[in-house]
Amino acid sequence: MFKDLDPILHSQLRLAVMSLLIGVKEAEFTFIKDKTGATAGNLSVQVQKLKDAGYIEVTKQFKDNYPQTTCKVTPQGIDAFEAYVKTLQEYIKR
Amino acid sequence: MTERESLQIIQQMIQTAKQEQKDDGKGWIIWGWLLFLASIFTYLNLKFNWVSPFFFWNIFGLITLVLLGTRAVRQLFYKKKESVRTYTKDLFDKLNIGFVISLLLIIFSMNHLNSVDSVMPQKGFALLLGLYGFWILIYGAALNFKPSIIGAYITWALAFVSLFVTKFQYTMLLHAAAALCGYIIPGHLANKEFNKPKTSIRTTRV
Repeated sequence: MFKDLDPILHSQLRLAVMSLLIGVKEAEFTFIKDKTGATAGNLSVQVQKLKDAGYIEVTKQFKDNYPQTTCKVTPQGIDAFEAYVKTLQEYIKR
Repeated sequence: MTERESLQIIQQMIQTAKQEQKDDGKGWIIWGWLLFLASIFTYLNLKFNWVSPFFFWNIFGLITLVLLGTRAVRQLFYKKKESVRTYTKDLFDKLNIGFVISLLLIIFSMNHLNSVDSVMPQKGFALLLGLYGFWILIYGAALNFKPSIIGAYITWALAFVSLFVTKFQYTMLLHAAAALCGYIIPGHLANKEFNKPKTSIRTTRV
Protein backbone atom coordinates (compact mmCIF):
# COMPACT_ATOMS: atom_id res chain seq x y z
CA MET A 1 0.00 0.00 0.00
CA PHE A 2 1.49 3.34 -1.04
CA LYS A 3 1.06 6.57 0.81
CA ASP A 4 -0.25 9.62 -1.03
CA LEU A 5 2.28 12.20 -2.04
CA ASP A 6 1.99 15.43 -0.06
CA PRO A 7 -0.24 17.66 -2.26
CA ILE A 8 1.53 20.80 -1.03
CA LEU A 9 4.85 19.53 -2.35
CA HIS A 10 3.52 17.64 -5.35
CA SER A 11 3.43 20.70 -7.57
CA GLN A 12 6.28 21.65 -9.93
CA LEU A 13 7.04 25.12 -8.64
CA ARG A 14 6.51 24.44 -4.94
CA LEU A 15 8.71 21.35 -5.17
CA ALA A 16 11.39 23.34 -7.01
CA VAL A 17 11.31 26.04 -4.31
CA MET A 18 11.57 23.50 -1.50
CA SER A 19 14.37 21.56 -3.24
CA LEU A 20 16.30 24.79 -3.69
CA LEU A 21 15.79 25.99 -0.12
CA ILE A 22 16.66 22.62 1.39
CA GLY A 23 20.27 23.04 0.20
CA VAL A 24 20.84 26.59 1.44
CA LYS A 25 20.41 28.47 4.70
CA GLU A 26 18.16 31.15 3.25
CA ALA A 27 17.52 32.72 -0.13
CA GLU A 28 16.03 35.91 -1.47
CA PHE A 29 12.87 35.86 -3.53
CA THR A 30 14.79 37.15 -6.57
CA PHE A 31 17.29 34.29 -6.31
CA ILE A 32 14.49 31.70 -6.22
CA LYS A 33 12.78 33.45 -9.13
CA ASP A 34 15.99 33.34 -11.21
CA LYS A 35 16.76 29.72 -10.48
CA THR A 36 13.25 28.39 -11.02
CA GLY A 37 12.48 30.62 -14.00
CA ALA A 38 9.03 31.33 -12.58
CA THR A 39 7.13 34.59 -12.88
CA ALA A 40 7.06 36.83 -9.81
CA GLY A 41 3.27 36.56 -9.51
CA ASN A 42 3.15 32.78 -9.69
CA LEU A 43 6.09 32.39 -7.36
CA SER A 44 4.50 34.76 -4.87
CA VAL A 45 1.34 32.65 -4.73
CA GLN A 46 3.26 29.37 -4.32
CA VAL A 47 5.58 30.81 -1.68
CA GLN A 48 2.53 31.94 0.26
CA LYS A 49 1.07 28.40 0.09
CA LEU A 50 4.31 26.92 1.40
CA LYS A 51 4.34 29.50 4.15
CA ASP A 52 0.72 28.75 5.10
CA ALA A 53 1.60 25.06 5.33
CA GLY A 54 4.42 25.97 7.72
CA TYR A 55 7.08 24.59 5.36
CA ILE A 56 8.94 27.85 4.90
CA GLU A 57 9.51 31.04 6.83
CA VAL A 58 9.21 34.29 4.91
CA THR A 59 10.84 37.50 6.13
CA LYS A 60 10.00 40.80 4.51
CA GLN A 61 12.15 43.86 5.11
CA PHE A 62 13.36 47.03 3.42
CA LYS A 63 16.96 47.35 2.30
CA ASP A 64 18.07 50.69 0.79
CA ASN A 65 14.39 51.56 0.17
CA TYR A 66 13.79 48.33 -1.76
CA PRO A 67 11.59 45.53 -0.43
CA GLN A 68 13.51 42.38 0.27
CA THR A 69 11.85 39.02 0.80
CA THR A 70 13.89 36.17 2.23
CA CYS A 71 12.75 32.56 2.43
CA LYS A 72 14.01 29.85 4.70
CA VAL A 73 12.88 26.25 5.11
CA THR A 74 11.47 25.34 8.55
CA PRO A 75 12.09 22.08 10.48
CA GLN A 76 8.51 21.10 9.58
CA GLY A 77 9.35 21.74 5.93
CA ILE A 78 12.44 19.54 6.16
CA ASP A 79 10.37 16.69 7.64
CA ALA A 80 7.72 17.08 4.93
CA PHE A 81 10.37 17.14 2.20
CA GLU A 82 12.07 14.02 3.56
CA ALA A 83 8.75 12.20 3.79
CA TYR A 84 7.92 13.27 0.23
CA VAL A 85 11.22 11.95 -1.13
CA LYS A 86 10.78 8.68 0.78
CA THR A 87 7.29 8.17 -0.64
CA LEU A 88 8.57 9.06 -4.09
CA GLN A 89 11.29 6.44 -3.82
CA GLU A 90 8.69 3.83 -2.83
CA TYR A 91 6.64 4.70 -5.91
CA ILE A 92 9.65 4.45 -8.18
CA LYS A 93 10.75 1.10 -6.72
CA ARG A 94 7.29 -0.32 -7.37
CA MET B 1 3.52 15.52 -12.69
CA THR B 2 4.93 11.97 -12.62
CA GLU B 3 7.20 10.60 -9.88
CA ARG B 4 10.18 10.72 -12.24
CA GLU B 5 9.51 14.35 -13.09
CA SER B 6 9.37 15.15 -9.37
CA LEU B 7 12.70 13.46 -8.85
CA GLN B 8 14.19 15.35 -11.78
CA ILE B 9 13.10 18.71 -10.33
CA ILE B 10 14.57 17.80 -6.95
CA GLN B 11 17.89 16.78 -8.54
CA GLN B 12 18.11 19.92 -10.69
CA MET B 13 17.39 22.28 -7.83
CA ILE B 14 19.77 20.55 -5.44
CA GLN B 15 22.47 20.81 -8.13
CA THR B 16 21.68 24.52 -8.50
CA ALA B 17 22.01 25.01 -4.74
CA LYS B 18 25.30 23.07 -4.79
CA GLN B 19 26.66 25.43 -7.44
CA GLU B 20 26.28 28.25 -4.92
CA GLN B 21 28.60 26.47 -2.50
CA LYS B 22 31.55 26.46 -4.91
CA ASP B 23 34.58 28.61 -4.24
CA ASP B 24 36.35 30.44 -7.06
CA GLY B 25 39.70 29.75 -5.35
CA LYS B 26 40.89 33.36 -5.79
CA GLY B 27 41.50 33.81 -2.07
CA TRP B 28 43.61 30.63 -1.91
CA ILE B 29 45.60 31.74 -4.97
CA ILE B 30 46.42 35.20 -3.59
CA TRP B 31 47.24 33.90 -0.09
CA GLY B 32 49.25 30.97 -1.54
CA TRP B 33 51.35 33.14 -3.88
CA LEU B 34 52.04 35.67 -1.10
CA LEU B 35 53.26 32.87 1.20
CA PHE B 36 55.23 31.24 -1.60
CA LEU B 37 57.01 34.43 -2.66
CA ALA B 38 57.75 35.51 0.92
CA SER B 39 59.27 32.06 1.62
CA ILE B 40 61.34 31.89 -1.56
CA PHE B 41 62.64 35.46 -1.21
CA THR B 42 63.46 34.83 2.46
CA TYR B 43 65.36 31.68 1.43
CA LEU B 44 67.34 33.62 -1.20
CA ASN B 45 67.86 36.48 1.23
CA LEU B 46 69.31 34.13 3.87
CA LYS B 47 71.53 32.53 1.25
CA PHE B 48 72.86 35.77 -0.26
CA ASN B 49 72.47 38.15 2.72
CA TRP B 50 70.68 40.96 0.93
CA VAL B 51 68.73 42.58 3.76
CA SER B 52 67.59 41.74 7.33
CA PRO B 53 66.34 38.09 7.65
CA PHE B 54 62.63 38.87 8.09
CA PHE B 55 62.47 41.74 5.60
CA PHE B 56 60.27 39.83 3.12
CA TRP B 57 57.97 38.53 5.87
CA ASN B 58 57.48 42.11 7.03
CA ILE B 59 56.51 43.09 3.47
CA PHE B 60 54.19 40.08 3.39
CA GLY B 61 52.60 41.19 6.68
CA LEU B 62 52.09 44.70 5.35
CA ILE B 63 50.46 43.49 2.11
CA THR B 64 48.23 41.08 4.07
CA LEU B 65 47.12 43.85 6.43
CA VAL B 66 46.29 46.14 3.50
CA LEU B 67 44.33 43.36 1.75
CA LEU B 68 42.46 42.41 4.93
CA GLY B 69 41.69 46.07 5.66
CA THR B 70 40.40 46.66 2.13
CA ARG B 71 38.23 43.57 2.38
CA ALA B 72 36.84 44.57 5.77
CA VAL B 73 35.96 48.08 4.52
CA ARG B 74 34.33 46.65 1.40
CA GLN B 75 32.29 44.16 3.44
CA LEU B 76 31.22 46.69 6.02
CA PHE B 77 30.33 49.61 3.78
CA TYR B 78 29.98 48.63 0.15
CA LYS B 79 29.06 44.99 -0.16
CA LYS B 80 25.58 44.18 -1.35
CA LYS B 81 23.75 41.59 0.71
CA GLU B 82 24.11 38.23 -1.01
CA SER B 83 20.92 36.88 -2.48
CA VAL B 84 21.57 33.48 -0.96
CA ARG B 85 23.21 32.34 2.26
CA THR B 86 24.59 28.84 2.45
CA TYR B 87 25.66 26.79 5.46
CA THR B 88 29.10 26.35 3.89
CA LYS B 89 29.68 30.10 3.53
CA ASP B 90 28.68 30.64 7.15
CA LEU B 91 31.05 27.89 8.24
CA PHE B 92 33.89 29.45 6.22
CA ASP B 93 33.30 32.86 7.80
CA LYS B 94 33.70 31.35 11.28
CA LEU B 95 36.63 29.21 10.16
CA ASN B 96 38.44 32.26 8.76
CA ILE B 97 38.01 34.16 12.03
CA GLY B 98 39.47 31.19 13.93
CA PHE B 99 42.28 30.87 11.41
CA VAL B 100 43.31 34.54 11.68
CA ILE B 101 43.23 34.45 15.51
CA SER B 102 45.35 31.27 15.63
CA LEU B 103 47.71 32.69 13.01
CA LEU B 104 48.22 35.88 15.03
CA LEU B 105 48.84 33.86 18.21
CA ILE B 106 51.58 31.83 16.51
CA ILE B 107 53.13 34.94 14.94
CA PHE B 108 53.02 36.68 18.32
CA SER B 109 54.67 33.67 19.98
CA MET B 110 57.61 34.06 17.59
CA ASN B 111 57.88 37.83 17.97
CA HIS B 112 57.05 38.92 21.49
CA LEU B 113 59.52 41.13 23.27
CA ASN B 114 61.19 38.71 25.66
CA SER B 115 63.32 36.78 23.19
CA VAL B 116 64.08 34.01 25.73
CA ASP B 117 60.43 32.96 25.79
CA SER B 118 59.87 33.33 22.05
CA VAL B 119 59.15 30.30 19.92
CA MET B 120 62.01 29.61 17.51
CA PRO B 121 61.05 30.61 13.94
CA GLN B 122 61.79 27.08 12.69
CA LYS B 123 59.23 25.64 15.13
CA GLY B 124 56.84 28.55 14.73
CA PHE B 125 56.65 28.01 10.98
CA ALA B 126 56.07 24.27 11.55
CA LEU B 127 53.08 25.25 13.72
CA LEU B 128 51.88 27.63 11.00
CA LEU B 129 52.00 24.77 8.49
CA GLY B 130 49.95 22.65 10.88
CA LEU B 131 47.38 25.44 11.03
CA TYR B 132 47.29 25.79 7.23
CA GLY B 133 46.71 22.04 6.94
CA PHE B 134 43.75 22.27 9.31
CA TRP B 135 42.18 25.16 7.36
CA ILE B 136 42.78 23.48 4.00
CA LEU B 137 41.25 20.19 5.18
CA ILE B 138 38.06 21.82 6.47
CA TYR B 139 37.67 23.78 3.22
CA GLY B 140 38.35 20.70 1.12
CA ALA B 141 35.97 18.52 3.12
CA ALA B 142 33.15 21.10 3.15
CA LEU B 143 33.44 21.66 -0.59
CA ASN B 144 34.16 17.99 -1.28
CA PHE B 145 37.23 19.14 -3.19
CA LYS B 146 39.87 16.40 -3.35
CA PRO B 147 42.92 18.52 -4.35
CA SER B 148 42.51 20.49 -1.09
CA ILE B 149 42.12 17.35 1.00
CA ILE B 150 45.32 15.91 -0.54
CA GLY B 151 47.00 19.31 -0.14
CA ALA B 152 46.12 19.33 3.58
CA TYR B 153 47.85 15.99 4.19
CA ILE B 154 50.93 17.10 2.23
CA THR B 155 51.02 20.32 4.28
CA TRP B 156 50.89 18.32 7.52
CA ALA B 157 53.65 16.01 6.29
CA LEU B 158 55.80 19.08 5.51
CA ALA B 159 54.94 20.51 8.95
CA PHE B 160 56.18 17.30 10.56
CA VAL B 161 59.40 17.33 8.53
CA SER B 162 60.04 20.99 9.34
CA LEU B 163 59.99 20.15 13.07
CA PHE B 164 63.34 18.43 12.52
CA VAL B 165 64.90 21.13 10.37
CA THR B 166 67.41 23.30 12.19
CA LYS B 167 68.42 25.75 9.42
CA PHE B 168 65.76 28.39 8.93
CA GLN B 169 66.45 28.74 5.21
CA TYR B 170 65.35 25.09 4.69
CA THR B 171 62.24 25.74 6.75
CA MET B 172 61.47 28.41 4.17
CA LEU B 173 61.78 25.91 1.32
CA LEU B 174 59.36 23.54 3.08
CA HIS B 175 57.02 26.46 3.70
CA ALA B 176 57.11 27.39 0.00
CA ALA B 177 56.39 23.77 -0.97
CA ALA B 178 53.42 23.71 1.43
CA ALA B 179 52.04 26.95 -0.03
CA LEU B 180 52.32 25.42 -3.49
CA CYS B 181 50.63 22.10 -2.62
CA GLY B 182 48.10 23.40 -0.11
CA TYR B 183 46.98 26.68 -1.64
CA ILE B 184 48.31 27.48 -5.11
CA ILE B 185 47.63 24.21 -6.95
CA PRO B 186 44.21 23.54 -5.34
CA GLY B 187 43.34 27.24 -5.79
CA HIS B 188 44.04 27.21 -9.52
CA LEU B 189 42.18 23.90 -9.91
CA ALA B 190 39.18 25.29 -7.99
CA ASN B 191 39.24 28.41 -10.15
CA LYS B 192 39.30 26.31 -13.33
CA GLU B 193 36.40 24.22 -12.04
CA PHE B 194 34.47 27.36 -11.01
CA ASN B 195 34.83 28.95 -14.45
CA LYS B 196 33.78 25.85 -16.34
CA PRO B 197 30.60 26.47 -18.34
CA LYS B 198 27.70 25.27 -16.20
CA THR B 199 26.20 22.93 -18.78
CA SER B 200 24.95 20.29 -16.39
CA ILE B 201 22.43 22.58 -14.74
CA ARG B 202 19.29 23.38 -16.62
CA THR B 203 16.87 25.85 -15.14
CA THR B 204 13.48 24.34 -14.66
CA ARG B 205 10.81 26.54 -16.15
CA VAL B 206 7.81 26.05 -13.98
